[in-house]
Amino acid sequence: MGGGGGGLQAAPKVKRGSFATVRKKKKRVGFVLDMTPLVDIAFLLLTFFMLSTTLTTPQTMEMSVPPETENVEVKQSELLTVLVRDDGQIFKYMGDKKSNPPEKIALKDLRALSVNENLRMENKLIVSLRISNKVPYGLVINLLDQLNIAETDITQRLSAKGMKRERKFALTPLTDEDIEDLKAL
Amino acid sequence: MSKIKKKRVGFVLDMTPLVDIAFLLLTFFMFTAKFKSDTENEQKFQIKRPMASADTSKVPDKDLAMIKIGIDTVTNDTAYYYSLSNEQDRKVVYNSDKVQLSDEARQKVILKVTDLKVLEALLKQTRMANLRMKFAIDADKRVQYKWIEDLTNVMRLSNATVFNFVTDRPS
Repeated sequence: MGGGGGGLQAAPKVKRGSFATVRKKKKRVGFVLDMTPLVDIAFLLLTFFMLSTTLTTPQTMEMSVPPETENVEVKQSELLTVLVRDDGQIFKYMGDKKSNPPEKIALKDLRALSVNENLRMENKLIVSLRISNKVPYGLVINLLDQLNIAETDITQRLSAKGMKRERKFALTPLTDEDIEDLKAL
Repeated sequence: MSKIKKKRVGFVLDMTPLVDIAFLLLTFFMFTAKFKSDTENEQKFQIKRPMASADTSKVPDKDLAMIKIGIDTVTNDTAYYYSLSNEQDRKVVYNSDKVQLSDEARQKVILKVTDLKVLEALLKQTRMANLRMKFAIDADKRVQYKWIEDLTNVMRLSNATVFNFVTDRPS
């Protein structure tokens, strides 16, 4: 017989009442597939993958430190020292400590300070960070982040003047003398 | 009148666009899904990373030596945790006789290190085993800066002068 499994093809006409051919009369034109189980499984998997993925991937902040053997000589007038006390208070002084006593500075002002001083000194400025080892690490990263944000600004402005940015940066331990100096402030 | 008479018994909804979108999202999440590595499975502490917005580069997944500084959730003590992403390097470094470790520790994926001398030896051996190795420091934001300072000093001694601090993007 012709149109047995013939998909969308219409069934051949047969006389009514003939019992054997009743099944072939079934229409196959508006063919509908029940998709419900498919959708069920699809959504099950979808929710699983949605919940198991973490969209916030960690980032990195690159640092480079000089090797142990290297000792760099710096001019004191080109040095911007940023000190962080045990309680997380930040202080800064430019150049010599005697003529420019340390001043308190808020974390959010650090960025503007770095931009201004770097533009004034035009690439010669060295930022020396002296951080107390009792400070939480999160604060140190916030501080470094502020300096990094300032960096894009500095690079832009210096390149407008036709200069290439060279960053100089030092992480030095807080000395006992520094601790004494900061106690009174 | 004729409107009311319309049959609503064999009601069929066309689900094709729904299925299209569902599968589109499904494939997206399937491809972006990243599963926990061996290292993370063995970890018994959770790190609350500090936030930083300036640098947006991603943590590399190959040739990575990860130094975690975590606070144990049960005992509340801080320690260094050392792990290497490459299994081959891990075997070489952990089994090196220059590194003083117990036989039990050598089998582990993630090493708990409390002695800075051991950490220095590990770092030196890692650099010898694979020169392309990158170092990353993943520390909890609550730990004291002393831990980071000690670590960076050890890293300088072992000539690993370039390293990354792992941070989170502020949401």
